[in-house]
Amino acid sequence: MSGRGRTSRGRISLRSAARPRSVLRLPSVRVAIVVLAGVAFLAVFGSKLAPQNPLNINANALFQGPSLHHLLGTDYLGRDVLSRLMAGTRLSVFTALEAVGIGLVLGAGPGIATVFLGRWFDFAANRVADALMTLPSIFFVVAVTAALGNGLVQAMVPVGVLLAPAFFRVTRAATLEHARAQYVEAAELLGASKVHVIRVHVLRKVLPNIAVTTAMMTAAALLTVSFLTFLGIGVQPPAPTWGGILSSDLDYLNQAPWAAFIPGALIAITVGALNALADAFRDRSSAGTLSLADPVIATDPTLERAYGDPQSQSVA
Amino acid sequence: MTVVDLIRHGKTGAIRPGTTGAAGAAAPPGLRLRRSRVALARLGGGLAVLVPIVFLSSFITYSLGALSNSDPAATILGQDAATPAAVLRLNRALGLDHPLVVQYWNWLFRALHGNLGRSYFTQIPVAQSVSQRLPVDLSIALLAIVLAVIIGGTAGVVAAVRRGGWFDRGVTAVCSVVSTLPAFVVGIILVVLFAVTVRLFPANGYVGPSTSIPQWLEHIILPSLALSLQVSADIARQLRTSLVEVLDRDYIVGAKVRGLPQRRVLVRHALRNAAGPALTVLGYDFPQMLAGAVAAEVVFSLPGIGQLLLQSAETRDIPVVQGLLLVISTFVIVVNLVVNTTLNWLYRTGDGLGA
Repeated sequence: MSGRGRTSRGRISLRSAARPRSVLRLPSVRVAIVVLAGVAFLAVFGSKLAPQNPLNINANALFQGPSLHHLLGTDYLGRDVLSRLMAGTRLSVFTALEAVGIGLVLGAGPGIATVFLGRWFDFAANRVADALMTLPSIFFVVAVTAALGNGLVQAMVPVGVLLAPAFFRVTRAATLEHARAQYVEAAELLGASKVHVIRVHVLRKVLPNIAVTTAMMTAAALLTVSFLTFLGIGVQPPAPTWGGILSSDLDYLNQAPWAAFIPGALIAITVGALNALADAFRDRSSAGTLSLADPVIATDPTLERAYGDPQSQSVA
Repeated sequence: MTVVDLIRHGKTGAIRPGTTGAAGAAAPPGLRLRRSRVALARLGGGLAVLVPIVFLSSFITYSLGALSNSDPAATILGQDAATPAAVLRLNRALGLDHPLVVQYWNWLFRALHGNLGRSYFTQIPVAQSVSQRLPVDLSIALLAIVLAVIIGGTAGVVAAVRRGGWFDRGVTAVCSVVSTLPAFVVGIILVVLFAVTVRLFPANGYVGPSTSIPQWLEHIILPSLALSLQVSADIARQLRTSLVEVLDRDYIVGAKVRGLPQRRVLVRHALRNAAGPALTVLGYDFPQMLAGAVAAEVVFSLPGIGQLLLQSAETRDIPVVQGLLLVISTFVIVVNLVVNTTLNWLYRTGDGLGA
């Protein structure tokens, strides 16, 4: 993404309709989009469509297996598992998106600005990003909730703050690359203002990189958030979340050993879909600048590490 | 410039066959000296960048306590005994009457001497409880790395050698599934499979290696496996990709034509040149593994730093939380530096000045 000058052949243009269409042709992308649409649908309508009240306790129906009445059975309080999963989608997904939004704003803004604000700002911003990257996400978030109290905002803001360095680095690298391009020099010579250069020449070209990072970071945030809710940080029972459901499943493994598979699979499938989408767009947007001679770049989990993705590893 | 940068720029693709291991031995002594000096200079540069990072991240850590808005003295004394005079006295004793920066400096200074303060509630020194529990997570992380190298390495090599075959396709498929599974989910699945359904391993508990090594392994094998799967998948993918590329190179074909045994060609010629990206991934995963060990440790309820962190977060035992965060982030910083320096040294370019 960075470092290599983009040739005109590999240039990214959001306007060209050819690129999205060709990405959409990939089967993995189609499956990913269907999965994500399903998750989005559940996130919005899940609690309304849930066949039963997810909080409804029924002492006469503990640990029931799947039946017509309870399609996925009941949990340790006799609550309907399917309804809990459907209703829990909203909290699980929206909290992750919230964190990504915070990371995006805190990271991408300075990432673009740093190229134009001079060396000192750049140095300082980079050191802050470095420092944030040394804080292991789960530890940091738990520490923040210890200091500020356990709540949704207290947990999501630090997750977002720790996602910011990844956004910062990607945007900074991409901006740097475009800000030094000849057409920017030409535009400046013609008297274009900095705002104009950023808006027309930089922002538009950095957007695909930001989009790929957003997909990757959403996957990472989803993992972090589900682990946090698993630990009971951010959202506490009885409010249903995927991680929270997993946590109670773990406590009753002897009674219902297979219950944990469904929320686990939900998390994995969503994360997988986001990663597939990010991979496809990344491969597409960097096509033409990469040769087979550097296989690492072509496949590239390393790149994510280079861009400092603290989340996915710490939960991993 | 880090090794990842190098790889991003496609420079490792330029590692010449045979130079990775042999260059040091073949180079004239003067050049070798210069190279080690360059490595030292890089280490120095790394340290210079580290110092502000350590200060910043530890300051963030410390100021969390100040942000907490809680009144430690009142917490310690309890509601009945917290008369204004008593609170004032205790605040002075704890050094909380100084400005934040002074408090931070005192805290960091004491931390450098191994004193992380005491728990508000149990009065146990934080350093003591951390050092009691850290070995649990370190064992898990280290065993996970070993497992990842064995599992991922084998899968990657076999997949590359049998390129296009069913094993290769299987590895690719399994890798993409595994990389979406977070460690705590894998951990739960492993508990279900090997501790509840088939009672092969204990589902929880911990025995120190000094007590009994087989029992220690028995207790940490499942958590380590859970932690290692994602890294295994990373390693397998990296190794497969680079090995496939290296195996197509002329010098490998040449070695085969010369009649060298296949194992020797694979290990001494191909693997040595293909291992770079996988090693890099491993290096960058390692510090995060410790943080990841927390997930495994909580699922298997082992008495590690994760449990300690969660307990003290619940009781808002700020010194313990601060101490833990400081220890972990310092660990991450130091290991990152070591990994970077090692990888730089391993992939020093021909003249030692290139990167």
